[in-house]
Amino acid sequence: MNLMIFKRFRNELIILGATIFAILTFSYKHSIERDIEQKREDIRNSINQVNRVLELKKIWKSNYISKKIKILKTMVPKSKIFSFKKRGQKVIVKYRGVNIRELNSIVKEVMNNPFQIVKLDIKEVGKESYNMELICKW
Amino acid sequence: MSLMGKSNKRLLLYKDMPNVKIKKHIDIILSPQFYTFLREELGIKFAYQAKQIAPSIFDDYLEDVENYQFFVYKNSNYWYFFAYNIDEITTFLEERGVKKYRINKIFFAQELIKYLDGSILELGENNCLIDIDNIVTVVPKKLIGDEYQTLNLKKIPQLKHSVSISSSLGSIIPFKYTIILTTLLFILGGVFVAEGDRAKNSIRESEEKLDLLLQRDSKLNSKRIRESILAQYEPIDKIERLKRDILVDISKLLSTNSRLKELKLDDKGVSATIKTDNINQTLRVASEKGLKSRKLNVKEIKVERSL
Repeated sequence: MNLMIFKRFRNELIILGATIFAILTFSYKHSIERDIEQKREDIRNSINQVNRVLELKKIWKSNYISKKIKILKTMVPKSKIFSFKKRGQKVIVKYRGVNIRELNSIVKEVMNNPFQIVKLDIKEVGKESYNMELICKW
Repeated sequence: MSLMGKSNKRLLLYKDMPNVKIKKHIDIILSPQFYTFLREELGIKFAYQAKQIAPSIFDDYLEDVENYQFFVYKNSNYWYFFAYNIDEITTFLEERGVKKYRINKIFFAQELIKYLDGSILELGENNCLIDIDNIVTVVPKKLIGDEYQTLNLKKIPQLKHSVSISSSLGSIIPFKYTIILTTLLFILGGVFVAEGDRAKNSIRESEEKLDLLLQRDSKLNSKRIRESILAQYEPIDKIERLKRDILVDISKLLSTNSRLKELKLDDKGVSATIKTDNINQTLRVASEKGLKSRKLNVKEIKVERSL
């Protein structure tokens, strides 16, 4: 009986088989594309995240920062450095009587380097003369 | 000129026919050796009704009626009934070198009746078709006298009533279209598979790029570690950039007419006292920079911004 039905509708069954094959392959393609899109998005996010981590580490965890801190000592004459204390990853510098040019240089240096400015205290003590306290960490 | 369009080559089928070589599609005309014919005067109107009763009409004439297919058409007042065994026909054709898929239409020799008036149609060397009482019949040639003319099949126009091999096999879709459609569907399936594989490969470049980045610091393979580092440094980055932006904004308020009196920066915010000759302009610029400002006296203002 089954064989007779198969014989009778053989063409339709062949087309049905081919249609099922086409549908299955379409589903395969569709699922692959959906998975790939999700994976591509994950990879894109991972790349952005890794780039960001590397960028942040390069800025804020760089080994050269502690070397750079010495410049705060050499930018002004020694007589104007009231105190310079470096403890671990922190520095406390106190300047006395720095002029505007020196003040600008120190602030510019601090701003252009990846120091974490904990405290910056500038006070005018005379005409074009400033006292300054700077606490930085890294 | 034919209004019926191009017709295929026709092949008359009879039992002792020689092998043939067929490379194109053909129509076949069945000799009575391949069908059983009945002619009935019935009070029915439609062919489907006639087809429904066909098996019972042949019940007394055929054994195993269920192995037969039926074809009917009306000719004047009579219904013409044909019973044929498509398996027998296709097997015979295969034996004679004709592939099943080459067969387009199947005609019945009964329809040649109008051309057989005083003529015969030869079936090989021994037999011929002849009109006996309006029924096309196979008779030995030796029984036929000289008065009959031999009919040339090629000169007979296209016959009217036919059945397709696919409908004989029970299929609605002809075999030819089955092949075409199946091929197209398989090609389509192949394209889908290829597309899927191509999509798989398309991501490889991004994966390599990520691998290259991760080679710089293998710890970053872990998403948790990355998130932990980001959680540590993102706030630092944000707050330190903000501190620097505020310092830049405050520096823009200073000029030959304005000088810094005091500046304090800590984790809570930034504040600065500025002595200026043009207090209104300095206040306006401070406001434009988004700094909160207030006048301390006629010469001094205080600007501040929290972090």
